[in-house]
Amino acid sequence: MKQQTKLSQKPEHIAEQQTQSPAAKEFSTADELLRFDAAQTTVPPEIAERLKHSAANIAPSKTGWFKRLFN
Amino acid sequence: MEEPISCPSVARGTPGEWATSEFASLYHEHSRAIYYLALRFLGDPQKAEDATHDVFLKAFRRLDQFRSDATIRTWLYRIAINHCQNLCQSWHNRHIHANSEAAVWENSPANTDSPLRVLETKELGQRIQKTLEALSDEYRLLLLLVADEELSYEEIAALVGQSADAVRGKLHRARKAFAAHFGKTV
Repeated sequence: MKQQTKLSQKPEHIAEQQTQSPAAKEFSTADELLRFDAAQTTVPPEIAERLKHSAANIAPSKTGWFKRLFN
Repeated sequence: MEEPISCPSVARGTPGEWATSEFASLYHEHSRAIYYLALRFLGDPQKAEDATHDVFLKAFRRLDQFRSDATIRTWLYRIAINHCQNLCQSWHNRHIHANSEAAVWENSPANTDSPLRVLETKELGQRIQKTLEALSDEYRLLLLLVADEELSYEEIAALVGQSADAVRGKLHRARKAFAAHFGKTV
């Protein structure tokens, strides 16, 4: 399985993530840190709205299935 | 007020599935990954928003170009990477300076065996951004891609046009450079 290929490898620097205080964290690798950051990131809802409007300008043959999904 | 986008069944895999699936579902499944890549690669929330919009619109327009030997996610990543790199190229930013700095850091004797310690998670985003911007575009991209657990090394290698072994080697150096830089951002 693809995912296991990467995940099964041990990180370069092993250290258990631990909470030192309510606002303190430790990450053993850059990967782990970036995953945490990504999980904290919220996609602005404006993007979906803009996509909906942009889709309205695309050829009718393509908008059918696209448009119904945004309704 | 607009209705929120519905999020029905997950759409993944083949073009056939695409043709009968919902774009909103696809957007919901992959938009965070694409937005995060754009955000951390471009370093600007507004530019990341624009880029994410453009990437998904391109994906919709180029649906007929999707090849079944790639997953939807890697296909979206490919569009996103090209888009972000084109933007960076047009801005003429960072390349020479960042590359030379990254070389210094990856060879520095900094103690990268220590865990990356974060005291205030509210400032984490800024520190990460600052750290990534100190790295070369290549290292930055590799780190952002490998952080996506859904991507294998082989898929990352295909996305950056290198062998999986080369990617592993560069990632080792990129992680080291990241850790060294991150410690300096406190």
